[in-house]
Amino acid sequence: MNDISNCTIDELFIKLLASTIDDGEIIFYGGSSPLAMIAVLLAKKTHAPCMVHIGGNPGGLDPKPPFLPPTTHDWTMIQECLGVLPIDYVFDLGSRGDIDRMFLSGAQIDMYGNTNVTAIGGLEKMKVKLPGGGGGAKLSCDVKNLVIWTTRHRARESSRGKVFTIVPNVDFITAVGHRTPNGSRRELGLSGNGPEWVITNLGVFDFERENRAMRLRFLYPDTTVDDVMANTGFKPAVHSDLRVVELPVQDEVEFIRQFDSLEIRKKEFPEEELERKFSL
Amino acid sequence: MIHESFTCILYPEFCFLIRAHSCKFVAKYVYKIRNRKETVIATHPAPSKIMNLEEAVSIVRDGDKVALGGALSLREPMAIIREIIRQDKRDLHLIGNAHGIDVDMLCGAGCVGAAEVTYVGFEFDFGIALNYRKVCESGKVKVRENNCVTLINQLRAAAFGLPFVAQSGFRGTDVLKLHPEFKEIESPFNGEKVVLAPPLKPDVALIHAQYADTLGNVKIEEPLTSDIILARASEKVIVSAEKVVSPEEMRSLKPNIHYFEVTVVAETPYGAHPTNCYPNYAYDREHMAEYVNATEKGLEKFKKEYLDKYVYDVTQEEYVRLIGGEGKLKKLVGWKSSMTAWREIFSVGEKGR
Repeated sequence: MNDISNCTIDELFIKLLASTIDDGEIIFYGGSSPLAMIAVLLAKKTHAPCMVHIGGNPGGLDPKPPFLPPTTHDWTMIQECLGVLPIDYVFDLGSRGDIDRMFLSGAQIDMYGNTNVTAIGGLEKMKVKLPGGGGGAKLSCDVKNLVIWTTRHRARESSRGKVFTIVPNVDFITAVGHRTPNGSRRELGLSGNGPEWVITNLGVFDFERENRAMRLRFLYPDTTVDDVMANTGFKPAVHSDLRVVELPVQDEVEFIRQFDSLEIRKKEFPEEELERKFSL
Repeated sequence: MIHESFTCILYPEFCFLIRAHSCKFVAKYVYKIRNRKETVIATHPAPSKIMNLEEAVSIVRDGDKVALGGALSLREPMAIIREIIRQDKRDLHLIGNAHGIDVDMLCGAGCVGAAEVTYVGFEFDFGIALNYRKVCESGKVKVRENNCVTLINQLRAAAFGLPFVAQSGFRGTDVLKLHPEFKEIESPFNGEKVVLAPPLKPDVALIHAQYADTLGNVKIEEPLTSDIILARASEKVIVSAEKVVSPEEMRSLKPNIHYFEVTVVAETPYGAHPTNCYPNYAYDREHMAEYVNATEKGLEKFKKEYLDKYVYDVTQEEYVRLIGGEGKLKKLVGWKSSMTAWREIFSVGEKGR
């Protein structure tokens, strides 16, 4: 725990989410987002002190939670905040285009950044009913920049072959990416810019300027292009200047461990991922 | 005070049905004359809205659109939910934002016909809500998943008295396919494509609060979630409260749901358990783990291991004893004694135990 010469994948992942935030932005995330919750607080403490932090479901404005609770809707998340914003006010901020960045996850993510958290198999051939998208369907249209994350990029073996999280097409579009079967964001008349980054446990993707498809931008120190290709349901483009992600500094890791002393962050990762360590 | 248009139909056998134009504005008394097995409804000029939980929940009808207060692990109306299960209400059409054990338990007990809820689950802590998942997959419950923004807008349309709500830049998501009632038109002002959604008027809202008074004034502490909007949008409002105070005391508490919006109040200490009702008590993660473990064994075992133990034939007073008695309550109430005590509440309760 206090071995600060290493960090684990969850800690590095949080650093990557945090680094997507620009100072001064208005930031929002939904429920079930412990990694984003920690990342936003980390960014505020380091490079983005002027960020406006709207704390997820309770809606605390710039809260100073004493520790990360196991569920979003807890009074820890409104401690020392500048007020609890009513839920309709937060959504109105989104609808009028004033939320700069939002963090979204997906049980399936496709090459254009559409995400599915509604149903595997879609509605007609529902195999798994997923929890649902909260406000994602509308906010993904309106919010200026989206950051999508998954900790489950690795394909799983099943009786029907490999099952991917990153797929050519999602079974159901809950939140909207850059392009849907009904057209691009511009053709659809959406005001937000769409997904800027997709952060996974194998790499970090941006989107190509022309066709707005996912492109591998960063690897981890312990992943390769082959790992990414083998675990992705299509062949994503690779950036000509492919790099390895920057590791957090010790202070950042210490902050994460101290704030999330219950280690809620680790619950989002499959067991085997948590073995991954990086020396600082 | 007696409203001219108030009418009521009496079913002398067992049941009553209230039909009132602007029923929220009519003071209602329901006297149950138990030995005659009939219910007499009368208006009264000095209205107390206090009932016991059983009477309060009896105004929920099979097939009602039921709006859920609270969210996820916060102030969900759990005692009301358990009473709905005991009264075996059927075919309910649930309306809510991000929810968890409330929707899942009703699904597991077979009370739900449709779910117009934006999220049902236990976040990353305990994951997918298995009862909800099963009844959706089997088709027993109609999935009418919405998104929070539109749902709140539709509830606001009802609360504001608007004919519909117009949303710009809302295309491309398949959530729209779950709502054939939405209409896409060109804005008459700038030609932009906009999605119109009708007002959403629940038959009844279920709200758990820290305080209510005998007249039906309600004080809920922040975060308010969508509770105030729900109270304004819904035809009837059932409130369970940790504590009932006098109308005089309520004046100093500054109520945020007003008496004319509220139909009935039932005093129900620990009525949100196992979700939280700060500042009274924190979320009982240990109990939630027990619940989730029971859902993992299938519907039949869930009924035996959880509903038989904590819901069927269990009064709220017995329930409070069953969840761990004074020791447990002391812990949940003691969240504010120190940061360590608060964190300690969340360090117990793991899946699979």
